[in-house]
Amino acid sequence: MKTPKKIMLTGNKAAAWGARMARVEYVPAFPITPQTEIVETLAKWFADGTMQGKFTNMDSEHSMFMAAGSAGATGVRVFTASSSQGILHGLESLYTVTGWRVPMVIVNVSRALATPITLEPDHNDVMSTRDCGLIQLHAETCQEVFDFILMGYKIAEDPEVCLPLLVNLDGFYLSFTREPVLIPGEDEVRNFLPLYTATQPVFQASQPMARASAVFGGVTYTSFKLQQELASRNAEKIFAKTAHDFKDRFGRYYGPVETFHLDDAEYVFVMSNSFATKGKSAVIKLRQQGIKAGLLKLRLFRPFPSEAIASVLAGHAKVAVIDQNLAPGMGGITYPEIVTALYDKKNRPEKILSVIGGLGGKDMDDQDFRTIIETLDKSNMGKPLFLYDEEDAKNFDRLLKIAKLKEVSS
Amino acid sequence: MWRIRLHGRGGQGIKTASQILGSAGFYSGFQAQDFPLYGAERRGAPVMAFTRISEKVILERGPIISPDIILIGDETLLNDSQSAPLCGADPTTLIFVNSPHPPEKLAQKFSLVTADLTDLCHKHLNKRTIYSSALSAVGARLLGTIELADLLQAVEDELTQQGIVTQALQGNLELVREIYTKIEPAILTPKVEKTLITKPMVLPDYRPVVDGAPIILEPGNMALRKTGNWRVERPEIDYTHCNDCLICYARCPDGVIAVNPEGRPAIDYDHCKGCLICAQECPGHFINTVRETGLFP
Amino acid sequence: MKVLTGAYRKIKDLHPHEAIAPGTGLCAGCGGLEGLRMALKELGDDYIICNAAGCFTLLSVYPFTPLKGSWLYTTMGGPTPAAQGVRDALDIRMRHRGLEEKENLNVIVVAGDGSSNDIGFGATSAAIHRGLDFIYFCYDNEAYGNTGFQLSAASPYASATQTTPSTDVHEAGTEINKKDLFEIWKAQKPVYLATVSPREPIDLSNKFAKASHLKGPRMFICMSPCPTGWGFEPKEAQLIAKLAVDTGIFPVKEYYEGEVVHTVRPRKRLPVEKFLERQKRFRHLFKPHRQDVVIKHIQQRVDEYWGQYE
Repeated sequence: MKTPKKIMLTGNKAAAWGARMARVEYVPAFPITPQTEIVETLAKWFADGTMQGKFTNMDSEHSMFMAAGSAGATGVRVFTASSSQGILHGLESLYTVTGWRVPMVIVNVSRALATPITLEPDHNDVMSTRDCGLIQLHAETCQEVFDFILMGYKIAEDPEVCLPLLVNLDGFYLSFTREPVLIPGEDEVRNFLPLYTATQPVFQASQPMARASAVFGGVTYTSFKLQQELASRNAEKIFAKTAHDFKDRFGRYYGPVETFHLDDAEYVFVMSNSFATKGKSAVIKLRQQGIKAGLLKLRLFRPFPSEAIASVLAGHAKVAVIDQNLAPGMGGITYPEIVTALYDKKNRPEKILSVIGGLGGKDMDDQDFRTIIETLDKSNMGKPLFLYDEEDAKNFDRLLKIAKLKEVSS
Repeated sequence: MWRIRLHGRGGQGIKTASQILGSAGFYSGFQAQDFPLYGAERRGAPVMAFTRISEKVILERGPIISPDIILIGDETLLNDSQSAPLCGADPTTLIFVNSPHPPEKLAQKFSLVTADLTDLCHKHLNKRTIYSSALSAVGARLLGTIELADLLQAVEDELTQQGIVTQALQGNLELVREIYTKIEPAILTPKVEKTLITKPMVLPDYRPVVDGAPIILEPGNMALRKTGNWRVERPEIDYTHCNDCLICYARCPDGVIAVNPEGRPAIDYDHCKGCLICAQECPGHFINTVRETGLFP
Repeated sequence: MKVLTGAYRKIKDLHPHEAIAPGTGLCAGCGGLEGLRMALKELGDDYIICNAAGCFTLLSVYPFTPLKGSWLYTTMGGPTPAAQGVRDALDIRMRHRGLEEKENLNVIVVAGDGSSNDIGFGATSAAIHRGLDFIYFCYDNEAYGNTGFQLSAASPYASATQTTPSTDVHEAGTEINKKDLFEIWKAQKPVYLATVSPREPIDLSNKFAKASHLKGPRMFICMSPCPTGWGFEPKEAQLIAKLAVDTGIFPVKEYYEGEVVHTVRPRKRLPVEKFLERQKRFRHLFKPHRQDVVIKHIQQRVDEYWGQYE
């Protein structure tokens, strides 16, 4: 694509376009719904010569991430994508390659985890990778998906970072949803993100080396882990630098978090990914009813921009952290992270409510947001609040009856 | 509390010795704890194990840094900087070395006990280098508070768990009885607890990946590690008879038999682990084996 | 009768180059290390080993490496896909990014029998299917050796492992047969496939020399006597390896261009007991009483195997 062009793309196609414009050289792939469209698109582009390099059909996500990591350590720009069960199957490899400290971009198309098995989204899959050392950017729109991949390579490949980076997008709500995406011209992209040259030693005959050797003794282990921590912390700084560079070239600016009607907000919804759009819509409607609502969207999720989040939330009275994930026996996974970020702020919110909704693709509507406001107003709000209403319970009871039909009739 | 640290080599029963000692202490009515340290190394490599025996509850875990008793099963470890069996010893530490000869220099610095366990093991077990029973018996006796009956019970329990056959068990029990009569209880001085002080913590600087990730750019630098200290016995080529067939060179798993420019095999003793395959395989039996003895550095 | 596949005829012909420096933490007398040492002599220094978690993890312990070439520690199930990634990346760089041919690497996987037969089995099958250009070296010590000797799919019938001990109820110990990895791999028609023994260095060297000139999946299973797990004195490692061949328990063979050839044939096979009786893992077959039925069964299987070729 020589000149910039706006085209209708699904989230998956936008991801594939991101990899194409980044001039990715290597894609090891394994299909999984709802991600498959990404690798199918890339397979076609490698096969017809649109993209230069190699597409390899792998045999599992464990294998796929392994091949992605070792190719990164051999000096090529790598892209791959997965989802849900696939992320879990590959989790050992993800921990392994983040420790190798090789750059690459991975797209996760969020989908709820078994059991029960389902296809629709929530964030337990991406949350399972929360602690493995990946840099994470969570996307709300197809444009963000595309832009984050370009920015992602820039961040991941920075010598101050050198870590795999994951871009998250929601299955169905984004992966299969088409909307206009502006694809910049090739030259513009090239100026922003040149062809890949490794900034670390890579495998080749003139550079014999041993990588990822075993360590014994906690001191050596801790020393390398601290370096991983420092690299990840650096990524916040490099993200900011990259975001400014991106804005200068392409006109779109991405902060580590996004605020929506937040300045005078009395109630704040903290959300991420595609459902943030629903949150924004609810904010507008609530404001029409005279309720001062606002929204904070998490974008850079790892490293966790504690300061950016805390400084934005401080001074607002009531905050609801909406987690589309569930740690049974604990609650929402991002909730404690947000609370921790605010702990030492003098003007921290009076109330921070944990809300759990959108599990397995369960929709959220405006009434859900209205209910969250009402709960925040209660003197004893209880926690967490599960977005599960009487109608949901009735519907489920109906299914139970069918599942136990014999029992009921006898 | 008495803290006992045991040193030996992988395959010598050092872990079992620490367990027998732990059980014996427990059977004698004490609080007890035992713990092996698994490192990267294998059979033949220096290993450590620990036993704590106390009248009161034991609020310690992990390796023993300042031992009251050090039991050294293999005297060749004494000049091994990696194993460093004397590390953390002070004048109150009692050191036992399995050796026929008391190392004089060592005796000047520490209170020292020696006995030739190797010969005793050979006598009772027909094996020279299994110290599980022997070393635990020494430890129990030095402590002086462990009854013989409890020690014998511990030997039987631990070795039975490992599937020892009856005949071998009897040998072990006799071995323990003999050591129990040979070694005298020691006078141990409890260690004085040090005052706690803080230490400076640092957050290191970020380093480029080449230093920040486990990357080694020095091919073959493993040779810096000298595995020669693993040897209990040493192969020596009898060059007057050796006909340079090079079978030894071909069979050495660690590749430590080089062929010199004259076409003769030469053993690299810095690294030879003492597996003795070369001696076993030499068609003319021209490689002799000699027991290694350790010297205090 | 010895059938040589390559140029080496005697010990003195072997490549003098030592590709693995000494000082590693592997057990004294490790049969697998001897096999790898001999193999690497033939492969030059321009290689990368993608290593599966296992005993050989101890080859490189930070900050040390014994290798003249490169090393990448992977996961227990991931060495072969890691090899795929390196191979693909080198090909991409040579084809599109001007990397010179002299920078190319021989891509080698080193994995134990647990990784090869169990957790990494599928990934390796996939790599053969893809025709990956690599050498696979399986050091087969017939159990999970690095974790203390538990049953793997390569543990032979009647061996005692930590997870298949011999008891009054299960006298034989392991009651299932060793997975025939050679035949399974052969079904996928790799370009080259061989079993090797450290006790047959000439045969081994000839096979690696031959494989080094081929392209595609080249698979090796190396019988790896394990003093620690099998229970014998380290000095007997080579003797045990020899008895494995001489009793016919371990057939030394290759598969190439559709044909299986036994490259080292025992002249007159010794009774299997000669191999079994020297190892602690088979001790229960002889003490406290002889398990004749079990021993006979092992002998029978060996005889049946060779019967196909006699």
